[in-house]
Amino acid sequence: MQLNHAQRELTLKIVYYGPGLSGKTTNLRHLHAKASPEVRGRLLTVETHDDRTLFFDLLPVFFSTSSGFKVKVKLFTVPGQVIHNATRRIVLQGADAVVFIADSRRSATADNNAYWRNLQDNMKENNLDPSQVPVVIQFNKKDLPDARTDAEIEESRRRGGEAVVGAVALRGEGVLETFHAVAQAAYQRLDARAHLARNLGLTEAEFLGQIFRRMDLTGSALARTYERAPGEARGGDGR
Amino acid sequence: MSGAMGGGAPEGVGATRRESVLQRRLSLKDMLDLPSFTEVVRSFSELYRVGIKVLDTAGDKLADVKVGHGDFCSYVFGFPEGRARCTATVARVKDGPVAPVEGGWPARGDGAEEAGIIALPCFTGLRYLVMPVCWEGDLLGRVILGPFTPEELADFPGSLTDIAGMDLARAHELVGRVRRAPERTAAQVLVHFGQVLAALVASGQRAFLATQLHIEAMLETHRDLEANNARLAQANVRLKELDRLKSTFLGTVSHELRTPLASIIGYSEMLAEGLAGALNPEQLLYVRTIVEKGESLLNLISSILDLSQIEAGRLRLVIGPVDLGSVIQTAVSSVAPLAQRKGVALEVRVPPPPQPRITADADKLRQVVVNLLANAVKFTAAGGRVAVVMSEVGAQPELGGPGYRVSVEDTGMGIREDQLENIFQSFYQVDGSSTREHGGAGLGLAIVKSLVEGHGGRVSVESEFGRGSCFTVVLPLQPPLAETGGLSALAPTPSPTGQDRF
Repeated sequence: MQLNHAQRELTLKIVYYGPGLSGKTTNLRHLHAKASPEVRGRLLTVETHDDRTLFFDLLPVFFSTSSGFKVKVKLFTVPGQVIHNATRRIVLQGADAVVFIADSRRSATADNNAYWRNLQDNMKENNLDPSQVPVVIQFNKKDLPDARTDAEIEESRRRGGEAVVGAVALRGEGVLETFHAVAQAAYQRLDARAHLARNLGLTEAEFLGQIFRRMDLTGSALARTYERAPGEARGGDGR
Repeated sequence: MSGAMGGGAPEGVGATRRESVLQRRLSLKDMLDLPSFTEVVRSFSELYRVGIKVLDTAGDKLADVKVGHGDFCSYVFGFPEGRARCTATVARVKDGPVAPVEGGWPARGDGAEEAGIIALPCFTGLRYLVMPVCWEGDLLGRVILGPFTPEELADFPGSLTDIAGMDLARAHELVGRVRRAPERTAAQVLVHFGQVLAALVASGQRAFLATQLHIEAMLETHRDLEANNARLAQANVRLKELDRLKSTFLGTVSHELRTPLASIIGYSEMLAEGLAGALNPEQLLYVRTIVEKGESLLNLISSILDLSQIEAGRLRLVIGPVDLGSVIQTAVSSVAPLAQRKGVALEVRVPPPPQPRITADADKLRQVVVNLLANAVKFTAAGGRVAVVMSEVGAQPELGGPGYRVSVEDTGMGIREDQLENIFQSFYQVDGSSTREHGGAGLGLAIVKSLVEGHGGRVSVESEFGRGSCFTVVLPLQPPLAETGGLSALAPTPSPTGQDRF
């Protein structure tokens, strides 16, 4: 978190972590497509010729609070290929919350575990306390054969303290829910540390509302919670 | 991780690491390639015949193209009152808020409102349009278009005409060179410019972040590698030390074994020679067996001692001019009785003397040839053939210089291809079971290799399993560093090639 009282700016960082080809970039693409242009910037991606993330993807989401604070949430993905560990470590620097995208297939269990350990190692390298930085686990690719069942995912949820969300990111299922869970967790952690509600007048309801009322939540369970802001028109050039 | 490189650490961030570019707020300057951006601004200005300035939030000019208004503005600026009013106008345009306050109003035109464009009047009746440059919700700077002559301007306002000494005819002539346009048109130009700028910033940001992150990742990887290297170097030092201790141990133990063994053999020989009284035939047979077995044990221990001394780097070669042909002859004569007993034919082919001498340790070379021959005889069955062949002196590609080539061929059991790599290792025999059948400790070839390489030579083997083997030794005429008179026969380790230049 970077909090600049003089400029009245708050910047949060959320990192999408996980094995190669688990769907990190797909998550960001879907969020970019669903967010209204006035709350999101361009989706910045740096890919290799075969569509693998080379350094990171970056999707900025921003709004101004009713008390006049500018809030920016930067969503990053890390490159999943094993050789890019140094880049993963750099991108993870200063993260306020992490989404771990796991591949639901049972055959991917070893890979998930390896990257989970890699996440713990790189958090420690960055002086991030794994018990303090909230992590949300997304079980992606739930539609594939060999995927874990809901019961198995539920059991996996009970084994740890992290929030767990099932998803099929290619179809957009679970993507907004994952983002909602991680945004909420990030807010709660920062509020505990920096008292955002007391010092900035930024409540959890406003934080989440400012973002999710400007997202197309059609078809997701969140649609009932957040009505679209009135007078919302798609426009602008994404600047 | 114990970072090999130190460095100032920003508070709260990873111990020895610099803050990543991803954590920084980028300026407009970071994201634009200024020379090519200036080109774009210039072509825009010339196309629409109106000046464009781009400033960042610090007020630094990133681009500044004047078109048409230069002469008029200079003329007005030449009057003290004109200068004061001009300075105030420019200050409002450059540093004032990009908002419809302090004399500004929202510009008219399609998309002007969304882009946040405001219009600002100049005291001369001309007009500026100012557009904020926003990126991801942050204000990064502003674009100033103008001044241009608003289409509706009929005559100069009082704020210009009341300037003392102003020649209005001249002013009219000069203002004619300033672009006259409706505000709406100018705003559209600015909106269009904003779109181009956004595209440039997007690709500029991407390129900037990617290159910066690439560098950071390289440094990070370098740090990891350095830490790994340090760990490996440490392990290597420890292993070398262990290896040296092992060799020292072997050397000491071999020495301690040889002394009492020499006594055993000596006293047995004295017994056999009847110095302590006559022995009956059976006793004589037993004592001779003790001598024979004692000698073979002594040979074995000597081999171990040689090898351990070579490995400990303590074997000194006694260098002198050597006739290789006679060394081979001597070696053959010491192996001949063994071959004869076993029924193996021994064949020698050396070029007729005299041959150029080589600089080497004659005893050690003889040991090389003896070891190879004894090995060949040992692994060749009765009725087989062992040949030692020496070449004439000639260029040896392995050595990159002149030298001799000595081959020892046999028609023995041969060596399987997958074993060829290992046979020069200490205590290695191709087949563990053959140790029992053929005896020996598996040291002969390791000693051969060390001695040959100690002379700067090479040893190699070719073999066809079941048909026989051929060991080839290539020796240079001069061993490296021969001028020192004696050199350590260390198993050669790769060393940096080339000489120091400074």
